[in-house]
Amino acid sequence: MKPTSKWTPFLFILPAFSIYAFTVLIPLIGTLGSSFTKWNGYGSPEWIGFRNYLRALKDTIFLSSFKHVFIYVLATIILEVAVGLILAGILSSRKRTDVYRIALFVPVMLPMVIVAVLWRFIYNADFGLLNGALEGIGLPQFAKIWLGDPKFALAAICFVSGWVYAGFYLAIFYAGLQRLPREIIESASLDGAKQSAIFWKIKVPMIRRLWEVAVLICITGGIQGFDLFFVMTNGGPYYSTEVPTTYMVRMVFRDQEIGYGSALAVLVTTTVLMIGFFYSKIRKKSEQVEY
Amino acid sequence: MKIRTWLFHIALAIYSFFYVIPLMWMFYSSFKDNGKIFDNPFALPENWNFGVFLEAWSAGGLGKYILNSAIITSLATAIVLFVSSLAAFAFSRYEFALKRYSLTIFVLGLLLPIQAYFIAQNELFEFFGLKDSRFTLVLPYAGLGIPLATWLLKAYLDSLPKELFEAARVDGSSDIGMYRSIALPLLKPGIATVAIFTALGSWNEFLLANIYVQNDDYKTIPAGLLAFSTKYVTDYQLLFAALTVVTLPMIIVYIAFNKQVVAGLTEGSLK
Repeated sequence: MKPTSKWTPFLFILPAFSIYAFTVLIPLIGTLGSSFTKWNGYGSPEWIGFRNYLRALKDTIFLSSFKHVFIYVLATIILEVAVGLILAGILSSRKRTDVYRIALFVPVMLPMVIVAVLWRFIYNADFGLLNGALEGIGLPQFAKIWLGDPKFALAAICFVSGWVYAGFYLAIFYAGLQRLPREIIESASLDGAKQSAIFWKIKVPMIRRLWEVAVLICITGGIQGFDLFFVMTNGGPYYSTEVPTTYMVRMVFRDQEIGYGSALAVLVTTTVLMIGFFYSKIRKKSEQVEY
Repeated sequence: MKIRTWLFHIALAIYSFFYVIPLMWMFYSSFKDNGKIFDNPFALPENWNFGVFLEAWSAGGLGKYILNSAIITSLATAIVLFVSSLAAFAFSRYEFALKRYSLTIFVLGLLLPIQAYFIAQNELFEFFGLKDSRFTLVLPYAGLGIPLATWLLKAYLDSLPKELFEAARVDGSSDIGMYRSIALPLLKPGIATVAIFTALGSWNEFLLANIYVQNDDYKTIPAGLLAFSTKYVTDYQLLFAALTVVTLPMIIVYIAFNKQVVAGLTEGSLK
């Protein structure tokens, strides 16, 4: 449709664009710019070219933070997407499962910080629910200082993430499974196929788009992970749970290394965008019927 | 019921129990003093003294955090809905110069992680003296919400029949008149979805809240509760009470509106 004046559409867009430009676009350019400088936030920034990037590639803490976040992403794909898919399969096979679905979704809507503080207590070595439960069932030898032990801290955090988001993916997959056309599934059961075979061979491929998007959200969201890590361990003990964002925040806001922090931010952003780009390329190639 | 059905429900009840028990533990530990908490974390409290919630409320200023969160969330959500519905209307209904480019710029916001810009955003807010006030977080949260809101509302508007708007144009309706009397009323379901995930996103956001607001009077729930847990670091009873005070209302609201909340959150992240 043609607007009454050629300026009308721009007037409609202007308010949204101004806020977006001020809070996102200008800072985006600013971050990119300051990634080439050495700057403590007060004096004038000094242009140093690519030196921040070279430093990042040799920064063992930063490189290990990528390793941790990679482990975290893999863990969340299993603990969130795979578990959510299996739960959706189980729950959609019966009627009257509302109560379970409501219960499993509760953590999704709570602030991550609150969940993190609560789980810090659950993992507490002295009065935590987890050690208490292990002692209660006669396995006190497995009790640990969960978040204080470099061997277990990252796994402990991954588990909390799974506890929160399995219900989220369950909700997505459950809704997808409910929308599948009945005839295909009915004809398969008439042919004598087992329930589990129908689920894995027919239903799961039919909601392919949903779990592909779920995996993508896990990857790009996981790389950006911050709240849980910051509250539960803030990178410790001995950098064993350091992820790019906790490290970046410490660089910028504690060490006043704004230029270097910006370079780390650009590297993280590029990683996220590249993964998103290639992932959607691969998906387009294998596009199928959508439900 | 058949045995298999019984087994099904027992297994799921046990699984759901892992979700319920941490929250129940949080609730009933609010009634136990430190000694009792250390003594046996599982034991139920001996007396149920609800005064501890009042104490957490007044001593820790929880009311203040909740009020700040409510103000910032409602302002940010209102702004996002208003400006994004206007922009979505233009993108969906008009042909104009630079349309594709401007739309691409908005879509870019869907892909960008917050890490891409928050460092310089902090400098910008510092420069303009926008940090550390009651309204500091409104603009950043609006900026975070606008791309997805615009995109989703545009998709909703695209599904409306063209004839509706053309007929209105023939009747002499102005541009803003069409937005108000046709687009907005028909957008209601879309606006509800967008409102839910924008509001929850602002309510739960922590990274920016932690950086931009140092003054305790202006902190939102996530940052405020973290400050609270640092201040009363060993008063576990009070901490459990504080956690309960901020989570219980959310859980009640969620249970009351669970269909809308689940739909809003899942739709928001799938597009």
